[in-house]
Amino acid sequence: MESRFDLAYNGAHALSLAALRWHGYRSENRYQVFQCLAHTLKLEPLQWRALSQAHNKRNLAEYEGGLDVDGALLDALIRSAQLVLNGVTALGPVHR
Amino acid sequence: MSNPSISVADALLTGTQQRVLALLYGQADRSFFTKELIDLAGVGSGAVQRELSRMLRSGLVVQSLVGNQKHYRANGESPVFYELKSLVDKLLGVPGILAESLRPLADKIHWAMLYGSIAKGRAAASGDIDVLVVSDSLTLEDVYGSVASAEKRLGRAISPMLYSSAELRRRVEASQPFLTKVLAGDFITLLGGMDDLIATGQSGSRRPTQGRATSTGRD
Repeated sequence: MESRFDLAYNGAHALSLAALRWHGYRSENRYQVFQCLAHTLKLEPLQWRALSQAHNKRNLAEYEGGLDVDGALLDALIRSAQLVLNGVTALGPVHR
Repeated sequence: MSNPSISVADALLTGTQQRVLALLYGQADRSFFTKELIDLAGVGSGAVQRELSRMLRSGLVVQSLVGNQKHYRANGESPVFYELKSLVDKLLGVPGILAESLRPLADKIHWAMLYGSIAKGRAAASGDIDVLVVSDSLTLEDVYGSVASAEKRLGRAISPMLYSSAELRRRVEASQPFLTKVLAGDFITLLGGMDDLIATGQSGSRRPTQGRATSTGRD
């Protein structure tokens, strides 16, 4: 379960970063990359909230150790990652 | 309890009164200017101003002028200040508003509870509101959608966690550190109850806003 969480989280982050870079920006801050999804992929707050919650959870785990993933967050994270993937795919090739 | 049930706040107060009181008595040490109150209350400006005028004339709020802005704040000198404040905290504070926002999902929720700093009574003005929801049919997105209205009204982020009843039981049985800490500490039941979920002989109160669990020494 932890490994699925990691995969989905890192996948969603990489895709969100791709969306940001498609628009010509970059960010080292992981949270901002997710926050920008509202603009880069026109996601509704509901659609990227799982990402921000997963982000907080992952950060907490880095500091305190011991990631406790629950099924609901994992499922929501995977759905969000899928939405981001769809969004990035729909952006098409970069024009520059 | 007979159906259909309504909240105590709805029985006693109009919607506008609830919004205005929640702001002025919910944050009793803060003063609001008229436009601010109207925007935050999210109801018509006429309705809010009528309410403000009544509260002003009865001494429930005081008005001060800052420049040419009228500022309003709860009147700490009012003879009913403490009673009203505690009623507002209970009915229209975080637990009341949160329970209200989750009510549409009530038949799918086994147990919803508030934990963390708010439940401990250390209601820091900032920081997330931590909620645990136990349901076997809801998705996290359902819960996000449902608490969004409460977030807007409270002006604070709500961080919901969703467990299935099996997940809750598994964590309790494994004495998972996070959950053990939460259940041994202060929490406030918003909807449902945990009695049917966890057979520990631990008596979580079903009364909203007063479910203070006693530790069973299970660490």
